Amino acid sequence: MSEHNHNTKSNDPAPAFTPALRKQIEGFLTRYETKRSAILPALHAIQDELGWIADEHVEILDKEFGLHRVQVREALTFYSAYRQKKPRQFNIQFCNNIVCCMLGANDVIGKIKGHIKKFEEKGKESPFSVEGVPCMCVCDGAPAMLVNKDRHLNVTKENIDSILEKYASLKSGV
Amino acid sequence: MGDTLTKVKITTAFEGKPNARALKTYVDNGGYAGLKKAFTMQPGQIIDEVKAAGLRGRGGAGFPTGMKWSFVPKDDKGPKYIICNNDESEPGTFKDRYIVECNPHMILEGMIIAGFAIGANKGYIYTRYDFFEEIKWLETAIREAYDAGFLGDNILGTGFKFDIDHYAGAGAYICGEETGLLSSLEGKKGQPKLKPPFPAISGYLHRPTIVNNTETLAAVPWIINHGAAAHKTMGTEKSPGTKLFCLSGRVKRPGVYELPLGYPIEKLINEDAGGMLPGYTIKACIPGGSSAPILTAEELKGLTLDYEAITAKGSMLGSGAIMIIDDSMSMVELLKVTVDFYHHESCGQCTPCREGTGWLANIMTGIMAGEGKKEDLQRMFEISRNMEGKTICALSDAAAMPTKSIVTKFGAEIADFIERGKRA
Repeated sequence: MSEHNHNTKSNDPAPAFTPALRKQIEGFLTRYETKRSAILPALHAIQDELGWIADEHVEILDKEFGLHRVQVREALTFYSAYRQKKPRQFNIQFCNNIVCCMLGANDVIGKIKGHIKKFEEKGKESPFSVEGVPCMCVCDGAPAMLVNKDRHLNVTKENIDSILEKYASLKSGV
Repeated sequence: MGDTLTKVKITTAFEGKPNARALKTYVDNGGYAGLKKAFTMQPGQIIDEVKAAGLRGRGGAGFPTGMKWSFVPKDDKGPKYIICNNDESEPGTFKDRYIVECNPHMILEGMIIAGFAIGANKGYIYTRYDFFEEIKWLETAIREAYDAGFLGDNILGTGFKFDIDHYAGAGAYICGEETGLLSSLEGKKGQPKLKPPFPAISGYLHRPTIVNNTETLAAVPWIINHGAAAHKTMGTEKSPGTKLFCLSGRVKRPGVYELPLGYPIEKLINEDAGGMLPGYTIKACIPGGSSAPILTAEELKGLTLDYEAITAKGSMLGSGAIMIIDDSMSMVELLKVTVDFYHHESCGQCTPCREGTGWLANIMTGIMAGEGKKEDLQRMFEISRNMEGKTICALSDAAAMPTKSIVTKFGAEIADFIERGKRA
């Protein structure tokens, strides 16, 4: 499961839980038949709110919410959705499965990588990161990608630049 | 034998309607009438009706739905569960997403009817996490259904209690397998469980649980409303009803097509979808998601879209994901993408799958790098053969089947690539 997983840990300081996030996690603890079922939703909530899941967050889930750290780690490391390091402003998940691949996904991924490299050559960090992901189940709109939570269909070598420019012009957002 | 050519919209009935997803639109167009009718029936009668309708699991396995429901112990008074498998992770499939987009209430109604039939009071919809918009639509529909009294403690004054909650997965293909899904719903890694016991006996939290695919549940209200006999007028004798087919690749109009089972595949491609884009021809077709063995263009001639006909050709209808592979696609690349996917998604529990998918991926990486050997084709075939029927779930078989079919049917192209790779 390693190729697409975000197992590389980060040295960035862990952002603190907000009161809203705490309240949300509290809600999950009693929402399902067992407390353990709250683990996946809690991890999603942390990532949505703070961008990624740090070791410190796992400890908070254990000590303050009673979700066992071993069980939390089990989910955190098994599922591809969870990031263990701070993401760039715009994380691109590009489908590289059969239909997207046939319709040119790898060429577009190559172009995005080139875009990122240009920043690095200037000694700057690109606001984008890109990773190939399994089928997103929107094959009638292949090639498809997600930029954070925005789905883009029929992404080609020709239109990718304007999509990236649109995001690059935005000031904030995780 | 029913009609295999006339199109009837059941699960896509709300396609293109203004405010399609709203409860009002659903109710104004006969929505929740199936539920009202179900409440006039005995639970056993509902199961019999679904059995008689010949509805088969639309997620891929094609198991008779009514029979699955009948496995739930009737005398068990403890909690039981209905789970809607909306994980839709089989590559090439995009139909469950489309049902949610067309009208999520149909799924809820199917779940409530199923709950009433087996005596369950709780249901979960398990959706892949990256269907961000679709999850919002589902959650809105659930809220609307509670507000209108279709969900809750005393549904429509009948005294029947049924709750539905939504649960998001976290990016794992294996959670489309019903017992993997249940592990995930319990907050664990999504590893499948050994069967028996089947979930109908011991599922979510070891309680009787029915896991049905979204499309299966969405077809239930229509069946209860119109009756089993009406359902059997569509499709073939052994594959009655309609099915959603997800057509993708370089056809003029890719998309979701609701068709009676038994519909000719060439008619779908050439007439409904408008044929191939100019300059492209069909090289092959994967008829039921990436787990299905590949068919050559030649094998599509006269083929009909029903469980039996596709099985007879050595493949499977699966989830109804029809991927048209055109002549621009190298079969080496296709096989590489396929084995990489299964290697990535193997949960690691069973050795033949964990190691087998890894070996296949390594061999393909070598071939792509120009380090392929002549004997690689035979070796991949042998590895695949040893991965079949030896594991807890079907992921291992799902990797082995397409591999075997690609190396068998397109072996010459791969052998040629290996040969040219060496010279390079």
